[in-house]
Amino acid sequence: MRQYRQSEPVDFVIVGTGAGGGTLACRLAEHGFSVVAMDAGPYFRPLEDFASDESEQTKLYWTDDRIVDGANPLQMGGNNSGKAVGGSTVHFAMVSLRFRPEWFKSRSLLGYGADWPLDWREMWRYYSEVEDALKIAGPITYPWGPHRPRYPYRAHELNAAARALADGCEALGIQWTETPIATLSAPRGLAHPCVYRGFCTSGCSTNAKQSALVTWIPRAIAAGAEIRDLAMVGRIEADNSNLATGVHYHRDGQWRFQRARNVVVAGYAIETPRLLLNSATDRFPAGLANSSGLVGKNLMVQSNQAVWGTMEREVRSYKGPPSLAITEHWNYEDKGKDFFGGYCYMSQGPLPQLWANTLLSARGLWGPHLISEMENYNHVVGLKIVGEMLPQEANRVTLADETDQYGLRIPRITYSWCDNDRRLIDHSLAFMTEALEAVDATDIWRQNDDTCHLNGTARMGNDPLTSVVNADCRSWDIRNLWICDGSVFPTVGGVNPSLTIQAIACRTADRIKTMARRGEL
Amino acid sequence: MRRSNGVTATQIALGLAALAASSSLLDKRSLARARKYRTGEPKQAKAVYDNRILGGKLDVPATVTAAKRLNRAAGMLALSVLADSGVEHYRGSFKNKAMFTPLIVSAATLGVSVHGTADRRKAAHIMRDTTYLLAATTGLIGTCFHFYNVAKKAGGFSWQNLFYGAPLGAPMAILLSGLIGFCSERVRETPRGITPSIFDLPAGRAMAALTSVGLLGTAGEAGLLHFRGAFHNPFMLLPVTLPPLGAALLARTAAAGPGRRHPFVRWWMRLLVTMGLAGVGFHAYGVSRNMGGWRNWSQNVLNGPPLPAPPSFAGLALAGLAALGLMRDHPDA
Repeated sequence: MRQYRQSEPVDFVIVGTGAGGGTLACRLAEHGFSVVAMDAGPYFRPLEDFASDESEQTKLYWTDDRIVDGANPLQMGGNNSGKAVGGSTVHFAMVSLRFRPEWFKSRSLLGYGADWPLDWREMWRYYSEVEDALKIAGPITYPWGPHRPRYPYRAHELNAAARALADGCEALGIQWTETPIATLSAPRGLAHPCVYRGFCTSGCSTNAKQSALVTWIPRAIAAGAEIRDLAMVGRIEADNSNLATGVHYHRDGQWRFQRARNVVVAGYAIETPRLLLNSATDRFPAGLANSSGLVGKNLMVQSNQAVWGTMEREVRSYKGPPSLAITEHWNYEDKGKDFFGGYCYMSQGPLPQLWANTLLSARGLWGPHLISEMENYNHVVGLKIVGEMLPQEANRVTLADETDQYGLRIPRITYSWCDNDRRLIDHSLAFMTEALEAVDATDIWRQNDDTCHLNGTARMGNDPLTSVVNADCRSWDIRNLWICDGSVFPTVGGVNPSLTIQAIACRTADRIKTMARRGEL
Repeated sequence: MRRSNGVTATQIALGLAALAASSSLLDKRSLARARKYRTGEPKQAKAVYDNRILGGKLDVPATVTAAKRLNRAAGMLALSVLADSGVEHYRGSFKNKAMFTPLIVSAATLGVSVHGTADRRKAAHIMRDTTYLLAATTGLIGTCFHFYNVAKKAGGFSWQNLFYGAPLGAPMAILLSGLIGFCSERVRETPRGITPSIFDLPAGRAMAALTSVGLLGTAGEAGLLHFRGAFHNPFMLLPVTLPPLGAALLARTAAAGPGRRHPFVRWWMRLLVTMGLAGVGFHAYGVSRNMGGWRNWSQNVLNGPPLPAPPSFAGLALAGLAALGLMRDHPDA
């Protein structure tokens, strides 16, 4: 791996190496820029470092101190953050979905949220680029939305949990399909096809999962980028000429400074605004890139409610990737809804510890009740949504007065659902209950409170007054400061965001190349 | 450290060269024979029993030679079915007792085929006849079973179920084995001086047509499953290109009428025999590409590409060769 001196300004220093930062580091390095990408977490080697043990694998999560409040405080950690090179893609569920085209103009076309400054047709191209880079295994024809090219690899075999989803959809007369997922269904290079170990969300130890760690990062290194792990960036340095000059980061027990001609923040929707706010100077007292006052605002998670039931036959839902079948019916169907936005739902495959935790936290089971319920584990079947939540300025990330192990002020995360969010959740729970009843599941119960994925807090737009960055992820205030992760989403849609984040990163890299050629950097 | 995803052009060239070399080795004997045949002989053979071709086997009529070759082809197919259904039905835990049937029937078919290959007599054998008919019936019933298995799943005849349900085309292999064996008995029992025929069709050309259909079907099966593997290795294209070309050549042969020799088609059939046998090697490599490779053979043999499947191409190509041989030795066939 090529290494750069701190004193020597690199073209780009990227803070974060997940879906946004890892992808961008790769594409920028491939375009010939000098790149240093930093991550607060370690550079894991999955074949050696990952155990088949849920507790051990919590090392992948970002579990530093945070304060959560609001009417519906978020549960931070496993389901929405990662602290490792590769970011949360190291433990993501690999679900790789495209936005519904109309969502890029949801304010104008669907009447809610905000418009994106991006055109869906351009995004469609970048989605294809990412799908090919990850060798997504997906269905031959996708039932919803405009034509998309064939997925590079074929869909995996459905497990029994996915078959239950399919049966339910057939019974209710809606379409379903195999979930396009980023784990190999055929060999690729040195990687073996997926062995259906089922530990996907605890970190794939076989490298079949096409995370940023095993796809973009090796490409980035091959193209000359440096990956600096265990490097916690605490502050972006900005001078008096409205330019960023580099980043202060903590590594090997001391604070260091990396000079850079451009700084990219890709720390996901909590750490990105936290870093920008923590980098306030006399010239930028409200934090960097915050002339609009929107940094940290419009935080959006996605609703992640579930309906669970018990089948008479064995299901063993934990076999294989957790979400092998999906229906996006309620993302594309606008009739019969009393809410804005959409949701998809997928089959589920919780590992035993997660399942015991779910039974404890959602149903309060403990002792003999918990043990007796765990005896049904092999028969459990579940459906879970990824649902759109609307952007609200009151849902936000601010700085608390407490500091963390680096002496940095920790984020305070305020979150409350709005009425529309509740209506969407109610609709989904009622529908999924019907779907489970249709396949003769018994003891059906609802998990009412769960969320996933973090987006917003530095939205992109066409107007410096109402957005933090432009369509190229470039901040309006500081022209060599960029933000490239889920933070830039003006709306979240009802699908997992990772594919969109990576597509935006690929687009941003191409735009930067074009602008550099024109001398516009 | 990255390895390129695709196989390099050099590897492909080497592979193709190896295929060509081994098929020409196979061809050596026939080339020698052809050379001998060409000296002073007209292009069209006119003798019903051509002693020069038969060389030392003067006592064995051409019909019996052809029948023995067909027995050999049926046996090769039966061996492929025995091994393939053994592995795959074991993988399916023999959940339905009927899943033992192809093992028993293909083992019996293999047995009578070996018997037929060694048998120089001119009469059909009741045991062989019965077994071959049983094999053909098993193939038909098995196909129905496999269709039922796919149809009952959610999504019916969707790609998902075609990829991962019971393979629709697989039982056809034992059907083909039975048909080829049955035809072999008809050719064998043809009296001297009479053109061997099957259901009033000239036997050589009828067999060529049957083999042509079989090759197409088998290529379809390989195509489906290699598509499932996203043709991630360019060699996976071989069984979906070479056999359909062979099928077309055989079909043309069947339609061309009596009394012709088809050296190029024969050469192509030998190429397919080589490809079918080399396929085992390719699939063995495929097994090694799964987690744990051959060290984890007990899982990966079940999980990886089926080792016994490619020789079914060899079996069919052998049947094609037998048909072509019969047409050469017996110009009216």
